[in-house]
Amino acid sequence: MTLGSVLARGMGRSPRGLTKRIGFVGVAAVAVVACGSTSSSPTASGSGPADLFNPTNFNTSTVSWLSANQNASGTPVMGGTLKIEGSTDLSAAADPQAEYETIAFGLERTYTRQLVSYAASSDFNKAVTLVPDAAAMPNVSSDSLTYTFKLNSGLMWNTVPPRPVTSEDFARGILRNCDPTLAPNGNPAYYSSTIAGFKAWCTAFEGQDPSESPAARAATINAGMTSVSGIKTPDANTIVFTLTQPATDFTSILALPFASAAPVEYLKYTPLAPGNTIYSDGPYAITTYNVGHEIVLTRNAAWTPASDTIRHQYVNEIDVKLDLAGSAAATEVQQDMAAGTADLSWNTDVPPADVQGLETPSWNAGLGTFPAPGTTNPYLVFNVQSPNNSGALGNVKVRQALEYAVDKVALGKIYGGASLNQPLNQVIGPGAEGYVQFNDYPTKNNQGDPGKCKSLLAAAGFPNGITLKDYYRNSGNHPAVFQEIQSDFQKCGVTVVGTPIATGYYGSSGIGVTSPDGLKAGHWDITEPGWVPDWFGPTNGRATLPDIFGAANFPGSNWGGFNDPAVEALITQAESATSISAAASLWHQADQQVMKDAPFVPFQTQLTPLFHSTKVHNAIYQPFSEGYDYTQIWLSS
Amino acid sequence: MSLSTVDAAATAVPPEEPAVKGIEGRTPLQLVVQRLRTDRVAIISVVVIVLIIALAIGAPLIAAITGHGPTDTNVDNGTDANGQPLPPGSAGYLLGTDNLGRDILVRIAYGARVSLIVGVVATAIATIVGVVVGLFAGYYGGWLDSILARIMDVVLSFPYVLFAIVLVSVFGSSLPLTILVIAFFSFAAIGRIVRGQALSQREKEYVEAAHSLGAGNMRIMFVDILPNLVAPVIVLATLLIPTAIIFEATLSFLGLGIALPTPSWGNMLSDAEGVGFQAWWFYIFPMIFLLLTTLAFNLLGDAVRDALDPRTERIFAARRKKKPA
Repeated sequence: MTLGSVLARGMGRSPRGLTKRIGFVGVAAVAVVACGSTSSSPTASGSGPADLFNPTNFNTSTVSWLSANQNASGTPVMGGTLKIEGSTDLSAAADPQAEYETIAFGLERTYTRQLVSYAASSDFNKAVTLVPDAAAMPNVSSDSLTYTFKLNSGLMWNTVPPRPVTSEDFARGILRNCDPTLAPNGNPAYYSSTIAGFKAWCTAFEGQDPSESPAARAATINAGMTSVSGIKTPDANTIVFTLTQPATDFTSILALPFASAAPVEYLKYTPLAPGNTIYSDGPYAITTYNVGHEIVLTRNAAWTPASDTIRHQYVNEIDVKLDLAGSAAATEVQQDMAAGTADLSWNTDVPPADVQGLETPSWNAGLGTFPAPGTTNPYLVFNVQSPNNSGALGNVKVRQALEYAVDKVALGKIYGGASLNQPLNQVIGPGAEGYVQFNDYPTKNNQGDPGKCKSLLAAAGFPNGITLKDYYRNSGNHPAVFQEIQSDFQKCGVTVVGTPIATGYYGSSGIGVTSPDGLKAGHWDITEPGWVPDWFGPTNGRATLPDIFGAANFPGSNWGGFNDPAVEALITQAESATSISAAASLWHQADQQVMKDAPFVPFQTQLTPLFHSTKVHNAIYQPFSEGYDYTQIWLSS
Repeated sequence: MSLSTVDAAATAVPPEEPAVKGIEGRTPLQLVVQRLRTDRVAIISVVVIVLIIALAIGAPLIAAITGHGPTDTNVDNGTDANGQPLPPGSAGYLLGTDNLGRDILVRIAYGARVSLIVGVVATAIATIVGVVVGLFAGYYGGWLDSILARIMDVVLSFPYVLFAIVLVSVFGSSLPLTILVIAFFSFAAIGRIVRGQALSQREKEYVEAAHSLGAGNMRIMFVDILPNLVAPVIVLATLLIPTAIIFEATLSFLGLGIALPTPSWGNMLSDAEGVGFQAWWFYIFPMIFLLLTTLAFNLLGDAVRDALDPRTERIFAARRKKKPA
């Protein structure tokens, strides 16, 4: 990822990491899942309890409530309206190259196609395994540098008249990522760091005046169709990618919605402008977008089941209501789902008190608690460049001392307790690529060791403690997290002074800086952001550690300005590894090195509680969007 | 009754007509106190306020007895396995715990300190500023009145929450800032009343007499006119206290008032927002104390207003007559 792209796009990643996921689990609290707990709770059965936090064994045979929650029995009924309710709009006008939130990823599943994607499956391993979508699985050259995709037949745009989807549409979609009018949305860095010739072209395009005419931008993209050496479309059904170096996760990167096909019509207008038509090559198409209020999708007549092996078109219409009042929205959505006037939640979570009631005396079939491996939410990051306290946080010994200060069990309770939260002591969480459990800073029951923290702090030259400035978000669980941290650090002799930041400004004008020297002003010393990987599965290393600790992501999602050449070297090696096992080993080494440097304090990895109405059948959790797959659902009549 | 007794009574010297008791001189304060003493609502309000003050003063004692500090988080033991607050009556927690396992009773007691300090100090500042501004505007009139009256109009029509957001984003939330914001947005209410009264009073003969005796403007304003305005100012000030308390609670609820983790009833309600209705104690108790306090001050204010109003004498006189029966 170039510095330029980070400056322009780095914050674009934040909505996924900061907004949706945290919003989802922000007030989630209580659920008992298949962790082998009480008899009143539906626990795992069959082949033994599944560790939902490390879901290598998450399926209907190991998780007792999963079949009932999926509710797949019976013959699918065609028709009906899937009613979804929530309290927030999309952030980028439903543009597939710009949307970067899990709510958007879920909706994009209905109107976009990727070359490869994920099958809907209640078996977590299958749900994160890539399968053919618009194209067959690629033919990869022996040097792992060339990927050739052949498009399947029958893919059509819902243009008038319908027109076939071509390889050029997929090339155009990837090139559109660099459109300056899309900034700071999207994340072109995934493509500029892998595809040959893309980086220079993309950087130049990003530098163009965003206010120039659509025709001028169209000319740039059309030129890129031939000038970018790493993307070739020898015919309408073939697209060939050439990489700068091997990348075991390249197909995962192509499965992101950013790599969706884009019809030529998109070049006619300015992206993100209200009223732009969003074309569909999926089973549904957006027919009404009342900004801030409602999105309605209806069946796309140009789509055929024969052209799509992973999506269905059971319901007639998907109606997303976006405008419920903020603070009461979660309760309202839950009540509506229970009453059957809504079927699914859009962005709100299940209120804690409701979850408690849903899991006892017997597990309500509408409730599910699902894994999101690799999620780190929230975590405490140090501003390693802060000049405060004589630059104490630049001293690794100080940071290592503070690793012992935090009571991770208490923090987990703020997010619903042990059934939904598991203490985490490293960067890469269970289930993510490169995960090997270790703990360099063990404390009894993960509840912190103020005494050790204090003594190490004294040994580091700060016997009287230090005073840290904490920027925290002023909504959801964040004020509680701040107070817990303040209390924990106080026991270690560290005074924490908090500054509340409006959630909407947290990642931009809050903790974010726009220049490499921005952190040196010392506006904050510690803060508690969160992170959700962009994809899950055995090759998601690039979407975890480098995003939050890679030097290329500063300024950006490497909020604290951490930079260790040893970590950088390992990242480079891992990203260019030729085998998944080699990459995983290198990610683990990078994880160990980061924890030695202690630029952050990991708190926990979490489960996501979801609910659906009794009318919903075939509710299959999609890790990618951390929600149910709308294209699988049918409704009882 | 025996006959002899009757005789004795009949032969007794008839008592003299009781002497007409001289009319007792009473100061206005005595009159007000006497009237308030016959007002049950006022007495109950005073009792409630005294109890709240006692709670505030005794907060450290409550913390010492319970062993729970107002800001000491205790999530590990003060919440259940799912991180939910413990209900009232749970071991050691009379009113239950909050989302961080802190003692609701202790936090309410410390929150009472914040509410009372904010209510009284902000009202005192607002009253002093309002009286001075109103007196100057009303007494001098002319361009000074125009400027000051318009300033008060602007203050009264200003969206205070937006103003508070700006201030907090610049200076950070704190108790002094909260007090200043509340005082700033409250002084105009008193200033307007005082200005109107001063406009009326300055035309009275006693002011003319003071002028003719050579009194200066300051003396006339603060020695001659001001005592005549005390009654409405006291009433308004009493009614401003609950307004200031609500104002603080609103700002704190929005995260713009008292900085965390210092407890205030407003930020306690804000904390309770995300926990759900089943942990009713988390918001009901701060709400009850907020309600009781503001209601008590409001009712006391009403009673003081009635007691200071000579037109209500008949009502109080009727009460006094009824009392012996």
